[in-house]
Amino acid sequence: MSKPVVHITNLNLKYRNKPVLQDLNWTINANENWLVCGTSGSGKTSLAKAIARIGHSYSNIETSFNPQSSLPALAYYVANWFQFKDLEGQSNFYYQQRYNKQSTETTATVKAELESFGKKHALQFNEVDGILAALGFSELKNSTLIQLSSGEHKKLQLVKALWLKPQLLILDLPYNGLDVLSRKNLNLLLEEISEAGSQLILISNETELPSCINRIATIEEGKLVEISADERSWNDIETFDKQVPTFLSEAVINASSEEIIKMINVNISYGEKQVLKDINWEVKAGEKWVLHGHNGSGKSTLLSLICGDHPQAYANDFHLFGNKRGSGESIWEIKERIGLISPELHWYFDPSATVWQSIVSGFYDSSGLFCDPGYSKKAQTDELIHYFGLDEYKNTLMNELPLGKQRLALLARTIVKNPELLILDEPCQGLDQQQTLHFNKLVDELCKNGTTLIYVGHFESQIPGCIEKRILLENGEVNSVEILHKKPILT
Amino acid sequence: MSNYFNTLPLREKLNQLGVCDFMDSSEFLDGVNALKGKKLVIVGCGAQGLNQGLNLRDSGLNVAYTLRKEAIEGKRDSWKNATENNFTVGTYEELIPTADVVINLTPDKQHTAVVNAVMPLMKQGATLLYSHGFNIVEEGMQIRKDITVIMVAPKCPGSEVRAEYVRGFGVPTLIAVHPENDPEGKGLAQAKAYCVGTGGHRAGVLKSSFVAEVKSDLMGEQTILCGLLQTGSILSFDKMVEKGIDAGYASKLVQYGVEVITEALKHGGVSGMMDRLSNVAKVKAFEISEELKDIMRPLFQKHQDDIMSGEFSRTMMEDWAAGDKNLLAWRAATGETAFEKTPAGDVKIGEQEYFDNYTLMVAFVRAGVELAFETMVQAGIKPESAYYESLHETPLIANTIARKKLFEMNRVISDTAEYGCYLFDYACKPLLADFMTKVDTDLVGKNFNEGKDGSVDNRTLIAINEVLRSHEVEVVGARLRKAMTAMKSIKTA
Ligand SMILES: NC(=O)c1ccc[n+]([C@@H]2O[C@H](COP(=O)([O-])OP(=O)(O)OC[C@H]3O[C@@H](n4cnc5c(N)ncnc54)[C@H](OP(=O)(O)O)[C@@H]3O)[C@@H](O)[C@H]2O)c1
Repeated sequence: MSKPVVHITNLNLKYRNKPVLQDLNWTINANENWLVCGTSGSGKTSLAKAIARIGHSYSNIETSFNPQSSLPALAYYVANWFQFKDLEGQSNFYYQQRYNKQSTETTATVKAELESFGKKHALQFNEVDGILAALGFSELKNSTLIQLSSGEHKKLQLVKALWLKPQLLILDLPYNGLDVLSRKNLNLLLEEISEAGSQLILISNETELPSCINRIATIEEGKLVEISADERSWNDIETFDKQVPTFLSEAVINASSEEIIKMINVNISYGEKQVLKDINWEVKAGEKWVLHGHNGSGKSTLLSLICGDHPQAYANDFHLFGNKRGSGESIWEIKERIGLISPELHWYFDPSATVWQSIVSGFYDSSGLFCDPGYSKKAQTDELIHYFGLDEYKNTLMNELPLGKQRLALLARTIVKNPELLILDEPCQGLDQQQTLHFNKLVDELCKNGTTLIYVGHFESQIPGCIEKRILLENGEVNSVEILHKKPILT
Repeated sequence: MSNYFNTLPLREKLNQLGVCDFMDSSEFLDGVNALKGKKLVIVGCGAQGLNQGLNLRDSGLNVAYTLRKEAIEGKRDSWKNATENNFTVGTYEELIPTADVVINLTPDKQHTAVVNAVMPLMKQGATLLYSHGFNIVEEGMQIRKDITVIMVAPKCPGSEVRAEYVRGFGVPTLIAVHPENDPEGKGLAQAKAYCVGTGGHRAGVLKSSFVAEVKSDLMGEQTILCGLLQTGSILSFDKMVEKGIDAGYASKLVQYGVEVITEALKHGGVSGMMDRLSNVAKVKAFEISEELKDIMRPLFQKHQDDIMSGEFSRTMMEDWAAGDKNLLAWRAATGETAFEKTPAGDVKIGEQEYFDNYTLMVAFVRAGVELAFETMVQAGIKPESAYYESLHETPLIANTIARKKLFEMNRVISDTAEYGCYLFDYACKPLLADFMTKVDTDLVGKNFNEGKDGSVDNRTLIAINEVLRSHEVEVVGARLRKAMTAMKSIKTA
């Protein structure tokens, strides 16, 4: 029998001085493709990075590759989060930057990024085009990194990995931000490279997986535990299944106007490229909408207009909360009425703020806290921290927490001021199914009192019950607007 | 036109130098009201122009841009910046006559020409706003008596002005009203409103005067901010190479070291920075920085004297007239230094290593910050103003060195700062020649603690800590940093 590809004996690993992996053992043999699932914070990412020798190399992890194989003999890790720098090596971005034309030329183009990656690993350039096409990425070759949405960043990471075809490929949350079609195609591509000899370790809580996955494990108390497919469950101890704080559940929303959003032939373009075409859309106070569309259909641009983050709002006929944009209102007056979460907001959020500061900053719509909030805001924040099960992390810095916990804190930030309009753009990215269910129940509860809701989610099964209308974008245009049959709200 | 400051009687000179009032946030409760519905026209759409304009519009104000004809016809970057962000753009003739506030955000060297072109077109009782007072103070530009002249000067590069605003914060800002031009007494209210419009009110606002802003700004940028960082970087690099340290390592240590070291300065002042050293290294850094202060004090004083007398701006304007002869020659020479030409090596240097292996720079920074501050305060500038123009801005400039070394720093700063930086650098290097012969690799290039037993005398250490912490720049700094609430890490990854 050939040597195992990965052999881990008694691995102990700390994350920021807290033990996460304790005497962990794991053997990965040839022809095995693993799924590692389980709760956020259980050590999945730490384990993956350790195997790929990121930052540190451990003597109790042995990896051996097949010398006969033509595939690169390495363990390649695709991070759960795309990190990039500008051309001067800085990564001090802000999330509105991608909408400002002249601020986008400071980062590399997708093409340049792929070229330097290909050169580094001596890859064949003709092989990448097929992968780009399969993930619907071909048109973005000339875009700069900062212009990409979070789903597109994810795709770029995947394109590189699939092009490289390493002998061992470790994918951390590869489905985040991908639309339904892209997920399907990703699975096909993964099956293909597995056929060609790459082995996979997939970190995910999704249920639709490539068919080549043949072993499943979770991490429990620092150890790897193999499970069968039907044992996949989420005994998450910290989900927020408590009484919703009364300052949220009992407050009544007084809408500032009958019409929250009104867009009349709204157009947005960057030079030749038109990203929104003749958008007409009305959202009335108290309505609950879902916004659908593929990656790149224009969803995030549309939402950025509503949140006061897009400079071209001023050149369009567009009303918010009853006022025409550009009639003397400030973006802070707009943001005051909106609770926003989006993958981009998360990506660009100030990582050096504590959980508590991050949540309070929701009252001020700032990334990080800049002033003293006073008693009642502090008290409300504490209530929400408890509700979200974040008590023990209250004073922890955001960048010291796993993504799932960061996301919970940002969700708390989104609702803390009980806003008139909630914009939830893939709010549950990084959460497991149980947490998603709980969060959507919370949304239903909040929306009972007159909140207006715009929800973006790629899966029908993952949207809250209160949704009653749907708008579908395709290539920057409104494809359809429809009234949905009301689903019973789960209780 | 003659130097405005020099036309003032001494009493008035001191009076204006001493305008300095750290404003309470309650002074900004009126928001942007003083400018609401008024027509704001910005001349120039460069780094400051574009970013201030984006913020003002997002604060609900009415903003348009006027550019010189060539820029519009040639569809230059400034024209693209403005039009692609959906601003109205027009010629001076089209936009200035109806403007309530004209904001001059062209390069300082062009101010006389620009103001001479726009002033005749300005309506009665309009306001002219600057972000730097050089034109008024050093060139003595005379503005029509019906026009109100104010200054709102963000103490950060334009890109930061925007980035901090959209994060819900702002950058520290100086505001001022020109006492010769406030016919209706509306200057301060408008300056405050403008400051709110750019977000500056959330980050600490200092009420200053044109005179205080210019004299302190010039002093800070020539000495500690740019001059000494340049001199210290070049000397440190050359010393390491001379002593056989790997050039790639030396290049990296110098390029990124100032940023890491001054990051500590930003958060905890001079003592916070010194506290990052081991006790033995701190004692040593203290001793050599005392020595450096003694050596460089006359040079700092000369710079301050030349700034106060107008001698500095006179010689610089001569160089402007000579087609920037000196400036360009000096700039080229900077591009040719060994440090500039040696790429940073592919070695990992840990955060603490930058302190332990670069104790010399810590000493340079302490000496420079304290000297610049002391010299300004002696010259009649108030401690708060002196703080802004010394300690506060040092990390911002250090960041530009980390990006692309000295050449980049000099490209990003204004021509005025660049000119002063070279003047200082050329005078300072010979002064430090003797001192540098005594410096060995334990101070720069290798870990200072290596081979030392690490013990220090308690009383010595206590005395040093006391001197560091009780320096006025620390006392004022602690207060201002607290008022700037959450000083964010600006421009560092
Ligand atoms: N940079 C900073 O960090 C900073 C900080 C605080 C204050 N300031 C002050 O802000 C002001 C502007 O500085 P900046 O750095 O923003 O300058 P900049 O980026 O160089 O921009 C200058 C703008 O002025 C235009 N311009 C140049 N020459 C002109 C002329 N003769 N007539 C009309 N327009 C002209 C340029 O456009 P065209 O060439 O296309 O016409 C460009 O749009 C200065 O007073 C400076 O002291 C700067």
